[in-house]
Amino acid sequence: MGFDDPAFWRAGAISTITVMSIVLIMLTIDSLAAISPGGSHVPPYTVINQHIDYKFDSNRGFDVPVIGGPEPLFGTTLDEPAAAVLIDRGKMVIQSRACIDCHTFFGNGAYYAPDLTKAWLDPDWEGWQAVTGADTREGAMVKFLMDPEQYRTWTRAMPNLRITEAEAQSVVAYLKWMAAVDTNGFPPNFNQIEKQR
Amino acid sequence: MNALAALETGLLLGLYALLAGIWGVLFALAQLREMSIFRQSATVAYGLHAVAALAIVLSTPLGLGWKCLIVGSSLAFLALPPMTWRFLQHTHRDGVSQHDRKSSQHTARVVAGL
Amino acid sequence: MYRSQTLALKYFAAAITFFGVMTLTGLLSSYYYINPDFLFGILPFNIMKILHINTLVIWLLMGFMGSIYWFLPGELGRETAGIRAAEMLFYVFCAAVAVVAVVFVFVQYGGSNAVALWLINQGRKYVEAPRWAALGIVVIMVVFAYNVIGTAIAARKTTGIITVLMIDLVPLMLLYLIAFPAITNMSADLFWWWWLVHLWVEATWEVLIGCIMALALMQLLGTSRRIVEAWLYIEVALVLGTGILGLGHHYFWIGTPGYWLTIGGFFSALEPLPLLGMVVHAVYDAGAQHMKTTNRPALYWMMAEAFGNFIGAGVWGFMITLPQVNLYAHGTQWTVSHGHFAFWGAYACGIISVLYLVLQRVRDLAVVEGQLWKWSFAALNLGLVGMTGALLVSGFVQAFVERAIGGSTLSAFISAQENAWFVDGMVTRFLLAIVFTAGYVVLVWDVLTLGRRVPAAAVASAAE
Repeated sequence: MGFDDPAFWRAGAISTITVMSIVLIMLTIDSLAAISPGGSHVPPYTVINQHIDYKFDSNRGFDVPVIGGPEPLFGTTLDEPAAAVLIDRGKMVIQSRACIDCHTFFGNGAYYAPDLTKAWLDPDWEGWQAVTGADTREGAMVKFLMDPEQYRTWTRAMPNLRITEAEAQSVVAYLKWMAAVDTNGFPPNFNQIEKQR
Repeated sequence: MNALAALETGLLLGLYALLAGIWGVLFALAQLREMSIFRQSATVAYGLHAVAALAIVLSTPLGLGWKCLIVGSSLAFLALPPMTWRFLQHTHRDGVSQHDRKSSQHTARVVAGL
Repeated sequence: MYRSQTLALKYFAAAITFFGVMTLTGLLSSYYYINPDFLFGILPFNIMKILHINTLVIWLLMGFMGSIYWFLPGELGRETAGIRAAEMLFYVFCAAVAVVAVVFVFVQYGGSNAVALWLINQGRKYVEAPRWAALGIVVIMVVFAYNVIGTAIAARKTTGIITVLMIDLVPLMLLYLIAFPAITNMSADLFWWWWLVHLWVEATWEVLIGCIMALALMQLLGTSRRIVEAWLYIEVALVLGTGILGLGHHYFWIGTPGYWLTIGGFFSALEPLPLLGMVVHAVYDAGAQHMKTTNRPALYWMMAEAFGNFIGAGVWGFMITLPQVNLYAHGTQWTVSHGHFAFWGAYACGIISVLYLVLQRVRDLAVVEGQLWKWSFAALNLGLVGMTGALLVSGFVQAFVERAIGGSTLSAFISAQENAWFVDGMVTRFLLAIVFTAGYVVLVWDVLTLGRRVPAAAVASAAE
């Protein structure tokens, strides 16, 4: 088989694809373990019962999620099955309303609305507690989601998607869990300006 | 890594790749037309690509491994157009043979069938 | 003409129609950025965007199918197997797309339950179509695969190109099954979703368009089969050799292990190399013909494919593929800039090239000429490149202001969106989208009238 024989290149294509595919499958198996809830990069759903922060890790050179002490969401500590039900519901809301077609999640989606990876940790919610009359951050988030047109943030507004209170609570739980996922430092410099104040 | 430096690295990487493309096109045109302006322009284009590679190595905050990748890719970009051209000429020369006659008969049948 | 080729014409007609819907919804989507009250409370941005990106996928798929239905009988020397089923399914396909679009516009979303996912909106990017429609697409793809494989079996022959196509259709179809599940864990959802999207547009679709371009080159330039086959295998080897593990460039920030930054960045940095080879090949082909051919639009659009693929996918992708840069560019208009240019160069230009080849045969034209194709070629390409440039400006600013300085908070997002350079970029993008839309209108006009236009001289002499 010479260079000018298509069979040579056909053999090359087959062997290249085979090798690359095998490596991809091996890495996929490893990654799936890491990204399962409770794996090395993704926390269990019960993390919503705890305080979450995002701090610089000098070993890794970027911000990483830090899971702290008890901080129940909506004042209730949930066991694993109950937390899973709530998170599951939250994802169904996110899919049914096609949130990913305005927002980004881990930077994936659409770019018309903010990235929601660390939305749970956003410093703006403190101000929104006063505006919405809520006692807690999660309360403010729920009020906003249920009637975003009333609580417009700026000229480009989020439309009312007829999200019920239970649905809004599940979305907030989802965002809290998402904020605890180790994303290798994305988004960078989150809240650095606030932290410097 | 300084954020602005990272973003400027992105633009420099784009310029690096674009200049590689321009070198490839000008090289091919130089083979077709055999005019010195194309040969000279091709050399200038690759020269600028090499300058971009050097700028990436010397002035961007990328790690050593990535800089080696840039240098290696530059060498691959240098070799790729001439190799591709030689192989194109080789296969097309070979194509003026039974295979080509068979293929043109086949094409004629296709057209007649339409 | 074979029935398969008649069906091909229908698929091309539908493809061009959905190309128009994509263009219109894209134009409207870009207007929301300029006037945020546009259709507020009537049609939210996400629905308009869904229409835009889903018609993108549909029109390209229909263009691929039209091309294969056109070339297949000639390749294998007989009518396409299962053609009756394919003919019927074409109408089902179009009707399904129309129903899905109407439901998107007038129903928009349901409750957070399985019924909503089955009937209204699945809410995963590019594959928002409800599950019933996704099932329909599976049926259509299975029949399409049967059309190709069954014809080879019935003809008791195959060619190198058709063999590559048949093998490629298997992973292409299997990957689409990822459109079905609703996965709770966002990391796992995106992990598998990227298998579908990347291994479609940066792997199986590249092989598919490679097969189509090989078939087109044999017709357009009379290139020998042995040559296009050898080059097809080389392209498949290089594109999949870099693209399969290049999938890792989507696994930097979704909760996956850190080794993906090295693997994904390395392999995707190699992806431009085969694309440069294609550019050199395109110049060779054009030069060998001295740019003379009986079908200049087909040749020009094929050149646009090679160059657009290299610049849009290769150069623009190279800018943002290394993780050090991607950390800031990720999820900004810089991504949008790359996406538009890449899809245009890698797929749209190739489909339009085949369309002109087909038109030459159908309208029985010895030579394809005229002014209209030149105007549409110029307007579409200038419009697209202009949009890309504008989005690059907005994207760079957004990466700097929102990600680098502002740290991607809600306020940082707003700061970037209100930045003067960002706004100027989005306004410019909208204006160039109008240019692109004008180019589309001229393309349609040319397609409808090619070979049916009475030359001015004939009109004058008839009047005398």
